[in-house]
Amino acid sequence: MTDDTGLLSAIRQVGGDDVDLPFWQAAREGRFLVHRCGVCQRSYWPASLCTLHGKADMHWVEASGRGEVYTYTIVHHAYTPAMRDKTPFVVAVVKLEEGPFFHTNILDCPPDAVTVGLPVEVAIDPAGEGLTLPKFRPA
Amino acid sequence: MTGQMRGSCAIVGMGLSEQGVRLGVNPRELRATALERALADAGIERGAIDGYIHCGGNREDLRYLGLSPNFSFVIQSGGATPSVAILTAIGMIESGQAEMVACAYGQAPSTEMAGGGGYGAFGYGYASLYGLLGAAGAHAFHARRHMHLYGTTSQHLGAVAVTQRQYASVRPGTLGYGKPITLEDHQASPMITDPFRRLDCTRDTDGGIIVLVTTAERARSLRDDPIYILGGGTGHNISNWHHGLVYENHDDIAPAKARAFAMAGMDLSDIDMIQFYDPFTISPIMQLEAFGFVPEGHGGPFYAEGGAGPDGPMPVNTGGGQLSGFYATGFTGLIEGVTQLRGEAGAGQLKKAETCLVTGHGWNGGVQNTWSHATLILGNSK
Repeated sequence: MTDDTGLLSAIRQVGGDDVDLPFWQAAREGRFLVHRCGVCQRSYWPASLCTLHGKADMHWVEASGRGEVYTYTIVHHAYTPAMRDKTPFVVAVVKLEEGPFFHTNILDCPPDAVTVGLPVEVAIDPAGEGLTLPKFRPA
Repeated sequence: MTGQMRGSCAIVGMGLSEQGVRLGVNPRELRATALERALADAGIERGAIDGYIHCGGNREDLRYLGLSPNFSFVIQSGGATPSVAILTAIGMIESGQAEMVACAYGQAPSTEMAGGGGYGAFGYGYASLYGLLGAAGAHAFHARRHMHLYGTTSQHLGAVAVTQRQYASVRPGTLGYGKPITLEDHQASPMITDPFRRLDCTRDTDGGIIVLVTTAERARSLRDDPIYILGGGTGHNISNWHHGLVYENHDDIAPAKARAFAMAGMDLSDIDMIQFYDPFTISPIMQLEAFGFVPEGHGGPFYAEGGAGPDGPMPVNTGGGQLSGFYATGFTGLIEGVTQLRGEAGAGQLKKAETCLVTGHGWNGGVQNTWSHATLILGNSK
């Protein structure tokens, strides 16, 4: 049984948008989606209207889960008390094989070993509550 | 059409409250102080103000300011707001809605954030779930990509910090006044979010600013040194987002540059100085390149060689900018441009100061550091 109320609440709390609900539903099930225009097959994240075809045929499809690190930062400063035992850690922008950028963390890799161009693949560890966060590890 | 707009309006008054960290004064009071100083600067009575544009705040309480304009509204385009407000003021003046428009700013983020506070618009949506908080991380993505593409180094970033502090060190009223720094100081400052160290980052300050815009004709009747708005342009980084080029483009400068320079009938060689929006050290580097003042990838070396310093070929952020001066969003650069063009920059006055490029950017879009960009070209003759 799914609890979309909880997911929607978690999405709104972080400033996300209800239109991304299918993405987070799938993530909870261990699947990684992108939003795609059926007319030109261009992929998007987060949910978007196609820049060429608007809302003609936008739908969610399963992505390959592969990509590469496009850019990243190593966070050293603990902006919140909860971050104190996590720094330093990497926030990376992964360019997905399908095209869109996806902000994430890099698992199984020391921060100093992350590089621009590093091939990565998605790793989803379904969470008990809240949003299940797709993360990436070196491929 | 655009050519006719060149110099049609001018900045005829500006007023600043104190600009500093944790002043403990509420934003409206900061605006009220700035307003009195702007009126005195322009030599007009408050009743002359017939238009009011509030930059990035809430609906203004005009009762408290003692103003009675024909219109008063709020605009919000992040750090591009001040330049957009000037362009909007010109539009209202040219369409006959007003003759003297006050563009107003007053915020106290360092007081309101004291003791903790939210990151608000800098939470970056889903990315915040992965630990991306604050503006530094989002700008660090640009810096890291730039380093990868062009070999830009932390020392290059440090050269920006040192150069701007050099300007601030001789400018009273700035955070960096009397406090020059060295590249060694920069390299020794703690890492915040790699590649940014503390001295790569601007800190919030409180302050109020009012800029008065009127017709060129009225301006000349009020003072002998009005500062003319010669050109203006806007761009939006969503186009680069759509094309996957947002990390190579700090701002969407190309369309803004094209419109501003076409309106002014000028080219880059006509610019005497630049006031770039500079929340982080990578920002001036990438903007220098995007405008074409230096080739792509040459922004860092340009700074390291002193190119943006007071004796360099293109002085940049001549009052210390946001990094070492004060953070009043896009007003930091606008105010400095007017100050230099009037010849009122004291020990930091440039020898050649007849034209100035001013930029602003901001209004992050959830996952991206900046969407909006606005460019102004100012000059002390029409």
